[in-house]
Amino acid sequence: MNALRQFWSNVFAVAYKEAVMVRHDQALLATLTAQPIIMLLLFGAAISNKPANVPWLVLDRSQTTLSRQLVEEIEHTGYFLAPRYVESYDQGQALMKKGEGLAFLVIPSEFRREAERSVPQVQLLLDGSDPLSASRVGAYITQVAGALDVKGTAARLLPNEPVDVRHRFWFNPTLADRTFFLAGLAGMLLTNLCLSATSLGIVGERENGTYEQMLSLPTTPIQLLLGKLVPYVGLSYFLLALSTLLSGVVFGYWPRGSFITLIIITLPFVLASLSIGVLVSTLASTSAQAVFITVFFILPSFVLSGSMFPYQLMPDGVRQVGGLLPLRWYQIALRRVGERGAGLSEVLGPMAILTLLFAVFIGLAASRMKPRLE
Amino acid sequence: MNWRRLRTLMLREVRATFRSVFTVTVLIAVPIAALMVFGFVLSTEITGLTLGLLDGSQTPASRELIAELTAKGTFKPYHYATREELERGLVGGEISAAIIIPPAFGRGARGPGNAESPQLQVLYDGGEAVLAGNAEGFLRSMVGLNGATIITQAIKPSMPVSTPGVHVVTRALFNPKLAGAPFMVSGTFGFVLSFLTVLLTAVSIVNERLTGTFEQLQVTPATGVEILLGKILPLGAIFTFDVILMVLLAGFVLHVWPQGSALFFVVVSAFYVLVSLAMGVIISASSATAAEAVQKSVMLSIPLVQLSGFAFPTRNMPMAVQWFSEIFPATHYIRLARAIYIRAEGPSDLMFELFLLGIFGALLVRAALRSIEARA
Repeated sequence: MNALRQFWSNVFAVAYKEAVMVRHDQALLATLTAQPIIMLLLFGAAISNKPANVPWLVLDRSQTTLSRQLVEEIEHTGYFLAPRYVESYDQGQALMKKGEGLAFLVIPSEFRREAERSVPQVQLLLDGSDPLSASRVGAYITQVAGALDVKGTAARLLPNEPVDVRHRFWFNPTLADRTFFLAGLAGMLLTNLCLSATSLGIVGERENGTYEQMLSLPTTPIQLLLGKLVPYVGLSYFLLALSTLLSGVVFGYWPRGSFITLIIITLPFVLASLSIGVLVSTLASTSAQAVFITVFFILPSFVLSGSMFPYQLMPDGVRQVGGLLPLRWYQIALRRVGERGAGLSEVLGPMAILTLLFAVFIGLAASRMKPRLE
Repeated sequence: MNWRRLRTLMLREVRATFRSVFTVTVLIAVPIAALMVFGFVLSTEITGLTLGLLDGSQTPASRELIAELTAKGTFKPYHYATREELERGLVGGEISAAIIIPPAFGRGARGPGNAESPQLQVLYDGGEAVLAGNAEGFLRSMVGLNGATIITQAIKPSMPVSTPGVHVVTRALFNPKLAGAPFMVSGTFGFVLSFLTVLLTAVSIVNERLTGTFEQLQVTPATGVEILLGKILPLGAIFTFDVILMVLLAGFVLHVWPQGSALFFVVVSAFYVLVSLAMGVIISASSATAAEAVQKSVMLSIPLVQLSGFAFPTRNMPMAVQWFSEIFPATHYIRLARAIYIRAEGPSDLMFELFLLGIFGALLVRAALRSIEARA
């Protein structure tokens, strides 16, 4: 009993010392407030996968009311800029090659006549250099064209589509990318904080020689480690609250599930990320190297975790590698709670994996963090 | 400018760079890792998407529709018995999309005078916006195509086949399969060259300042221009080697070769490396410690990576942000890289962008020179 009290007393002594240091670290505090704001603006207002302002070219060989109607209806979907009319096929292709059009619609001269007889055809060339936008723009145009009323209103009385499919998007009716990014935002911010703060903190102490001073105290490596992590857990919750509040107030995105669930699932993730930070610190010998390793760990983890691109579409192998990252499971849990309003019972799976990852990483870190007096 | 002095400085820089194991590891490992990570992540194809199915009708028509949808391996079907279970699956993230076939499907349309189309309901998990967007496009065409044949054959052969308004024949230029890899590979050059160059120069100069060797350089007869060139030319050569390494790796591993002239691409990249290195010199001048320099480069690089169009097309951004993104040299370099890599554009098509990159280069090298001389 006494030994246990002694253990935690040591841990909290280190935690207190660490908290005092954090409080005096102006650069860290400035980064902590600036980063959520920058990331929020980037992901909330700037970045989007949804095509917008799409430049497109039209070669209208038909020059009839019908062809103009088609062009007009495509333009009215709102994804496109005003069309640029070209004189010839070659001119259109040359402009496509220069990247001045994402789509090139060719309406043949017999368009009107074909429409009277059967189904008229048009040709659509897409710029494959931006595949995501190209495939979506292709789908929009195909859909608008397919629904075009070519034979006058009489034909309209018949059902136009063989199967009437009602598409509905749950949790995000307008399919806005903003919701996708904002739901994962807290995960990215916490990854940044947990990894860079711990790795830099520990390497910095080693550089200054204060780490060796601590080793001469009656604390064991595991006590040191836990003590160093405690203040950052507090900071992480502050950051979670800040990012939730900001995305709610600025962009109107509030989590649908309960805050308590969010708070619970955050703990194993923060602990796992902090342990990775400690692990990084044992690999680096200078703080410049520590930041370097951290950065090149953080960026791929944003990408592979599914915070920026859906991980479901990644090929096998790559997807499994992403599964080793705590951020993968945390962003899954965040989306379930934040976007779909899931309760605690529906995020138990990701939570269990996060706890496991924490155990593995802290074990690795503690085994490498030997008292080093060289 | 004295050629012999410059040569000595360059030799010194090369030796210093290759002596640091960490730097050499980073120079080789980061480009490879970046290509491997980014080359695979973007995909417009859907495979193995989890699809919930609720067949309320249990007719030959509905079973045929389900068989058609799951035949190609695009979807992994999950069958549900009730709507509640299906909805729970969607909330719990088990399935990404769901098709609900109502009891009337395949039956209701049989009655005389009933011209209504059979109905289907498709639910998507909008939480995964990109995924839902891709799945929607796919399901629209699938159901539209197969639905038509199934319905006309199985249910109402007497009904006039309704026709689509206009048939669109689509062809994607430069990248017929709309693969994600070429887009990401050409962007990765921008990412690696912007990030790694700034980081490495900044750290190397700050470290020299801390150990005092930079001041030793400044008391030698070497001029500011020579010191600057002695720093960025050898590093530029090393990074050009990195560019070639990445081109080969992308070609052999990801099967993405430059469609345009590879030589032209390497030359443009080498010039861009010098621009980036100059930026690193400027950052180093305003940092007291190496860690601070690294943190500054990171703070600069995060918006740079997000806004330069590396992963997200700048076109989709609001106008004000688009204008802002133009001030990053990386935006222009990535545009050039895509043009050469995917659309096979040559120097004559890219005059304007090359000109802009040239101006950036001139301005940044000038500023870098000032920052070196200011400390003298």
